[in-house]
Amino acid sequence: MDDMTTGSSTLDDTVHETVIAVRDLQIFDGTKRLVGPVTFELSTGSTTGLCGPSGAGKSTVLRALVDLLPHGLRRQGEVHVLGRPVRYGKGDADLRSTVVLVPQTPVVFGGSILDNALFGLRHLVRASRTELHDRVERALREAGLWNEVSDRLGTPAQTLSNGQRQRLCLARALALEPAALLLDEPTSALDERSRDTVEESVAALRGNRTVLLVSHDPAQVERLCDRTVRIDLPHACEPSAAAV
Amino acid sequence: MGLTLERPTQAPGPAVPRPSPGSGRGSRARWVWGWAYSGILSVLLTLTVLLGYLVTGIASGTVDWTALLTSSTWSPGNLAFGGLAMIYGSAVVCVLALVLAVPVGWAAAVALSEYLPPRLAKPLRLSIELLAAVPSIVYGLIGIMVIRPFVADLGDVPGGDSLLAAGIVLAVMIMPTIVAVSVDALAAVPGRYREAAYSLGLTRREVVRSAVLPQARTGMRAGVLLGLARALGEAIAVFMVIGRADDRLPESLGDVFSFLVRPGQTLTTKLAGPEPMLAGTSGPYFAALCGLGVILLALVAVATVWGTRGSTGRAVRAPRARRSSAWLRTPKDRLTTFARLGALLLPGALLVGMLGILLARGGAALNPVFWFTASEGAAGGGIRDQILGTLLLLATTALIALPLGYGAGVVIGTRASAKASRVLETLTVAVGGTPTILLGLAGYVLFCTTMGWGRSWLAGAVVLVPVVIPVVALTTAGRIRGMPAEITEAALALGLTGSQYVRSVVIPYTWPATLTGLLLGLARAAGETAPLIFTATVFFGAPALPTGIVNAPVQALPTHIFTLSQDSGAPEAIAQAWGSALVLVLITAGLLSLAVLLRNRFEGARRWTT
Repeated sequence: MDDMTTGSSTLDDTVHETVIAVRDLQIFDGTKRLVGPVTFELSTGSTTGLCGPSGAGKSTVLRALVDLLPHGLRRQGEVHVLGRPVRYGKGDADLRSTVVLVPQTPVVFGGSILDNALFGLRHLVRASRTELHDRVERALREAGLWNEVSDRLGTPAQTLSNGQRQRLCLARALALEPAALLLDEPTSALDERSRDTVEESVAALRGNRTVLLVSHDPAQVERLCDRTVRIDLPHACEPSAAAV
Repeated sequence: MGLTLERPTQAPGPAVPRPSPGSGRGSRARWVWGWAYSGILSVLLTLTVLLGYLVTGIASGTVDWTALLTSSTWSPGNLAFGGLAMIYGSAVVCVLALVLAVPVGWAAAVALSEYLPPRLAKPLRLSIELLAAVPSIVYGLIGIMVIRPFVADLGDVPGGDSLLAAGIVLAVMIMPTIVAVSVDALAAVPGRYREAAYSLGLTRREVVRSAVLPQARTGMRAGVLLGLARALGEAIAVFMVIGRADDRLPESLGDVFSFLVRPGQTLTTKLAGPEPMLAGTSGPYFAALCGLGVILLALVAVATVWGTRGSTGRAVRAPRARRSSAWLRTPKDRLTTFARLGALLLPGALLVGMLGILLARGGAALNPVFWFTASEGAAGGGIRDQILGTLLLLATTALIALPLGYGAGVVIGTRASAKASRVLETLTVAVGGTPTILLGLAGYVLFCTTMGWGRSWLAGAVVLVPVVIPVVALTTAGRIRGMPAEITEAALALGLTGSQYVRSVVIPYTWPATLTGLLLGLARAAGETAPLIFTATVFFGAPALPTGIVNAPVQALPTHIFTLSQDSGAPEAIAQAWGSALVLVLITAGLLSLAVLLRNRFEGARRWTT
């Protein structure tokens, strides 16, 4: 998709009411249907919860949206991002910098905290060092991590706690200024205290960012989201996605 | 040759303490531990014999180390022993091999692991593993028949015997090893790192560069060092194409390139030549040859041990890239994709070319008569006796190496002290990395002259044992380490003694891995040529199966190929050599396929080729 540019610039040009529109998305393993059909829309600035029983394929839906399905799985259905239909299967890097997925387990690369925060940004954006640094600082503030790490950006990121790592991953994604963030159970790999800090950070995004939050915890969705999309196990599927 | 040393990716050992050996009671316990420790003893014994051979050799006459390291005149008649030309030769062929094989090998490995879909990558990876196990004598034969004429055309060299030809042969030989080990290192990088990087919108090139390579780098470097160790210790394949001219050393830097297309000599080819037979077993001549052996052993040991260390090191070097690199992303991505997939063509072409040339020129082997009639020397005939001899050697080696290697593996795997097991493991790796030519020479002096066996099949089989033991021991130990801690816990909770634990828990759990290791080790031993020529084999005139031990040589496939290929004028001999090569490749491929089947059947048994 050469015609799709990074999220920030596109957002500046036109304001879309709907960031992602999914219609009848189904995912198959061979002939076996794993997910769907699922239909939903993400409107700009909203926080949407995606919930359902385990095994319903919540994480698989997120991966299908950003073209990161595991080998052997096949998708069917239409997805529009910022009003344009997405053509999958081309290893589309622009799509993934527009709609950014934050995986469930925090992944920290070798190198310092700053290196990690810059991980995607420095490949995507042509800018001077100070400019990059400014954007990273803004992202770290937005993820609620700046106060904890501002004095030790050069230390190895491996020294961070699990909750801090998850917020670092969030900041890394926010630094790209994506059109939408897909959070895959951001708190399930964390202990209770870290969970609260990450939840706070996600809550702070509400209203400013377009977020799709996968969670198996209905209470969490209740706390954090404006609306909920529910998906069920495929065999029990009637026209499934019902906005609550 | 070398061995990959893999450790479990998580904790180096289970939290449950292993019962320490010796805690068993009764005669049965003593028997089990006696067996296990004799395995370790055999490893130590191999090292002792090897070092003893070199040390007594050196002590038997004075070695002028300065001359050996700095002079380039080798003239036994005048008692002038300078080894510089050989050290130079070894260095040049290894550097050539690495320069040619490493960039292509790495790029091909990345293409295989990161670009190709698993459906395509899996069979290709398997064939490259097979290629890595092809005996070096076959690479030598291809060197004589294909690479030598190529170099002869290229550099206007009569015959084509040259350092360059040797470098190319080694490059072809070690590239599959480098690819196989690097693919393993890349596959060990958890998928979540890739996913995290892809989901930030990075291109494939950027993902590989910033998320995958930093973690795979140590393993990929280990692959190169293992390849280097193999190249340094390889005798026969180099012997066949280097021309073996003494005292060739370029006088100025400008000569370096013109000397590439001239004959030369390396440490291993000197030792594999007739001189060790002429030098006797004491005196300055013998001492100087042992000095060359020490230099070779030191070089190989550094490469092997360093390589193993590298693969176990956990340190991930921090990428210090803080500047923007967002220029020309798409073109750069396309270019690297193109280059990497292109690099994959080379091992692919190697595979196809190798199979093609073996089938085309070794067609004789497809006739059953060739398998079942006796040889008539270079004139023709079949290779029945050679096949029988090879099988006899392999069977004897397996009988000796299996219990010893298994015992060593049990001790390394269950030793309570991590430090002791690490030391033993390093020693085992060192034995596995020893150039087989040195094993052959030590065996020659010990069995054939000192013990008076003459050429004996048993000497040959014993010399091959140290090739197999490390593979068996390290696969077994790896499997024991990968054993779930709960199994150990449950067994100990029932009050099992150490030896009962080994018999009823460890052995049932590990035997598939051990058998895999044995088959892989035998596949390697099947192609060994250099040590057998000194100790066990003759080209012609031995009975199909020997009677007795003293002066009871056999005929074997590697020796057959080697001797026939030296006589490369006669078309009959050439056809015989290719036919024998095809048979040898089929035998190793058979052993390896069995090993792969076993490995796939019993999940968790690790890869131990190279």
